[in-house]
Amino acid sequence: MAPRSLLESLRQQIASCETQLQDLRQQLAEAERSERQRRAHDHPQHTSSIDPLTHDMSYGIHDDFRSEVFAVLSHVDEQRPAASRWPLEPTEYKRYGRQLIMPQIGIQGQLRLKNASILIVGVGGLGCPAAAYLVGAGIGTVGLIDGDVVEESNLHRQILHSTARVGMTKVDSARVYLSSLNPNVNIIAHASRLTPETALQTVRPYDLVLDCTDTPASRYLISDTCVLLGKPLVSASALRTDGQLMVLNNPPLPPGEVQGGPCYRCVFPKPPPPESVVSCGDGGILGPVVGTMGVLQALEAIKVLTRETDQSPVRSSTPDPPSLLIFSAYASPMFRSIRLRNRKAKCAACSAQASISAEAITSGSLDYVQFCGAINPVDALKANERISVDNYAKVRLEVNPFTGTEPSKDSHILVDVREKVQFDICNLEGSVNIPFSVVSSTQAPITSSQNNGEQTPAVPEWVSALRSHPEKPIFIVCRLGNDSQISVKKMKELGLDNGGQRWIGDIKGGLRAWRENIDPEFPDY
Amino acid sequence: MGVSKAPEGHFSILYFAAASTFTAKSSEHLLAPLAAGQLFALLEQRYPGITDKVLTSCAVTVNLEYIDLEGDGDGDDAEHRDLVIKAGDEVAIIPPVSSG
Repeated sequence: MAPRSLLESLRQQIASCETQLQDLRQQLAEAERSERQRRAHDHPQHTSSIDPLTHDMSYGIHDDFRSEVFAVLSHVDEQRPAASRWPLEPTEYKRYGRQLIMPQIGIQGQLRLKNASILIVGVGGLGCPAAAYLVGAGIGTVGLIDGDVVEESNLHRQILHSTARVGMTKVDSARVYLSSLNPNVNIIAHASRLTPETALQTVRPYDLVLDCTDTPASRYLISDTCVLLGKPLVSASALRTDGQLMVLNNPPLPPGEVQGGPCYRCVFPKPPPPESVVSCGDGGILGPVVGTMGVLQALEAIKVLTRETDQSPVRSSTPDPPSLLIFSAYASPMFRSIRLRNRKAKCAACSAQASISAEAITSGSLDYVQFCGAINPVDALKANERISVDNYAKVRLEVNPFTGTEPSKDSHILVDVREKVQFDICNLEGSVNIPFSVVSSTQAPITSSQNNGEQTPAVPEWVSALRSHPEKPIFIVCRLGNDSQISVKKMKELGLDNGGQRWIGDIKGGLRAWRENIDPEFPDY
Repeated sequence: MGVSKAPEGHFSILYFAAASTFTAKSSEHLLAPLAAGQLFALLEQRYPGITDKVLTSCAVTVNLEYIDLEGDGDGDDAEHRDLVIKAGDEVAIIPPVSSG
């Protein structure tokens, strides 16, 4: 196996070559573009098939060209505008032909797209497919903003990135893909997170915004910013097998105008409790689910930008009424469209009583993180209720530092509280799986069957299984070391510690710490 | 998963995202009629803790129309609390999904 330093150095070389390559592509695209423009300007009507350069000028100008040359010399100014005889470049007619012939787009719609600028906030599972379709469709300027770098766990759904570009910033990786897809589009990369301090200045130059982010705080920030700047917002989200899509602030009238489209706060005035917010890393996400939502965002953006030039017979004269599209991949039907109300009469952002101002956002007096609530790392247990992975490894291999007993598979019970699907991916030998959802939904107290036997609800199987070995200490492990702590508390509430006689504790840092400190081959999923 | 037609005297309720996780159901049938203002109390009774953990931030719809149950306290915004959910109606509990 190659030593780590070699691998690292190869990775760095590749990354640096890719950056160079990307710069060159960008330069080439720009040079080609200006060359095309120059040529169109210099030779507006170069129709002759005879190359004038092959003519021997020592005998004077060839008769075939003389009249043409005089014509050019005498009508220089009239000839110039011929460059813009057609509003698109010749290659653009070819490239966009399939959408140009749609009455919904047409030449006017294509010009709208070409003159438009869209900001895509977040270049992940939503932003990647959205950007690919928008750049493909010929949006004039596409801005990308994201502060993250590409990780291997992104690649199953974030289709602009690649295995070779793991470690590169997402915006640079996306730019490589997008500029080779369509060099006509001006791509602007912002390699940072959108913050309240920068939101207004970042969004201001764009015509429309796509919210492709992954936290409640960023969703409120983007929505408030779009309302204040009068930009339509296409917002989508996805988790596990579900997605949501809304076109907000459309039409983007000033706050207080009741005919304006609702904003994110009108639909979801209260943020979800922070402990209920699940990320794709924790909850999981199916690639085509988030891909579907991103593609729909691109579609809605195109519809918003070309609505006024739509030539189709079914075009309506007013924007579509606001709606929330819900996608549930495993339900039937898969799509449900909910009709939303207009702006909420007392919306904090877009109503006549709005309290949110540009100053409040930029100065930080409106704290989005606080509004949405921060999750504190779980710290529920006392030191003597916890064991480090190093000490637990000793319990498995050597003498138990707490009880002094010799190692044995049967000396203790190791409970893994990850959900079954994760337990099935990989687990520690000898562990038993009692999913956190089962532990946390068990109602305490379960009265012992000796008292009031007839009134007691059935003791769950997992509880009686643990009760049947009342002397063995219980070690609880999970993925990261949070659910394990809550499970310790719960098991004690359920009386499984026999009033303190049996040790129940958690393995600090969970299986992640186990992999980092003890067993590097334990799968990292 | 398909939503079966509600039996006579019942309405259907659909649980999305976090609501589905909390109830461990994607849908069920509940007894109609029910005042919309009573919906959260009924769900809290069936699923203790659901109000704080899920419902307060949710969008609620009846027959694909958004309804407003949570006002600012002075009643102006909660225009639909008196709406009656009838037999055969389809109610949906839609928590905001923020990841992507």
